Amino acid sequence: MGLSEHTQVQTPLPEPGSSIEFTTFMRAYQDMVFSTAARLTGDDAQAEDIAQEVFLKAFENFDHLRTSPTAGGWLKTVATNLALNHLTRYRRRWRLFSEMRPAGEGDEATADAPEPEPPPDTLLADLGAEQRRAAIDGALKRLPAHQRLPMVLYHFEEMSYEEIAQRLRVSLAKVKTDIRRARAALLPMLQSQGAS
Amino acid sequence: MSEPFEAERRLERLLDRTLHGLPVRRAPATLESRVLAELARRAALPWWRRSFVHWPQAARAVFASMCLILAGLAFAAGGWAASGLKSLHAVGVWPISWAREAVAVMGVAQSLSGELARAIPPDWIYGGLAAGALLYAALFGLGVAVYRTLYLNQELAGGQSS
Repeated sequence: MGLSEHTQVQTPLPEPGSSIEFTTFMRAYQDMVFSTAARLTGDDAQAEDIAQEVFLKAFENFDHLRTSPTAGGWLKTVATNLALNHLTRYRRRWRLFSEMRPAGEGDEATADAPEPEPPPDTLLADLGAEQRRAAIDGALKRLPAHQRLPMVLYHFEEMSYEEIAQRLRVSLAKVKTDIRRARAALLPMLQSQGAS
Repeated sequence: MSEPFEAERRLERLLDRTLHGLPVRRAPATLESRVLAELARRAALPWWRRSFVHWPQAARAVFASMCLILAGLAFAAGGWAASGLKSLHAVGVWPISWAREAVAVMGVAQSLSGELARAIPPDWIYGGLAAGALLYAALFGLGVAVYRTLYLNQELAGGQSS
């Protein structure tokens, strides 16, 4: 990323010229920023709040961003960070509780779990791109947050297991287990969407 | 390579293929107007209601100078107060009568607690500490159970049913 997230530039007053330029800039990236936040939070209203915050930060750094070739990456990183901060802010105190699992629900139990069904070769192949996107977003929303987050970070943000564990401040084993369970939960949801 | 592992790898690749290349979602039409309205609101704020980095240079310099002066005065006042108390103590004069009484009460409380510590058998103290720890653990376990039952399970159920 070419720009630091914490770069603070004195916010200029929005002048007519810069406002138009910033609006053009925002229109170019707002769908990507909103999608990133929506996939992570699973909530459109929260995603819109986060996207607004991202563009307010972008405006503070607009002198650099308007010419930066990495502006898209900067926006995506800020959107991801803000969404994760938003999700973990009120959950940090409950982490100890939420990571406690009933007996038989741990990693050891997963190792003894029945063998997974062989997956099909394609998913949602009969649907158009927009319908496929809607089906996947709908299925992701139905996952619990502790499975959706690592799943989205792994498959959409292309972060490694280690990076996800570090970012979410959970163990590597938990990340792997949650992603494995998220995939297992997602598959029948997508298969039923494709069949309907 | 074992079959379950291979099935998992195939599932990972399948989802990777399915999830990649999806069109992004269209942002709500209200987003742009919300951002511009917030920018306009911030721009309309007087300088002294914005964050410090947006203050004019002169105002920042005056503010920093005043902070330095106030910090210096606070240090000086602390020094003067300490030296004043020291000199009063040296001549045996307490500025406030209740200060002497407070010191006396604290002395009595200290000697009383020392006597109590000697009088109570150690087993009682250990037993009390163990009982306290047990009650704390019980309350913690109850909190976990209540949280998981009333909050976490509902959240998971909501996530599955929505």
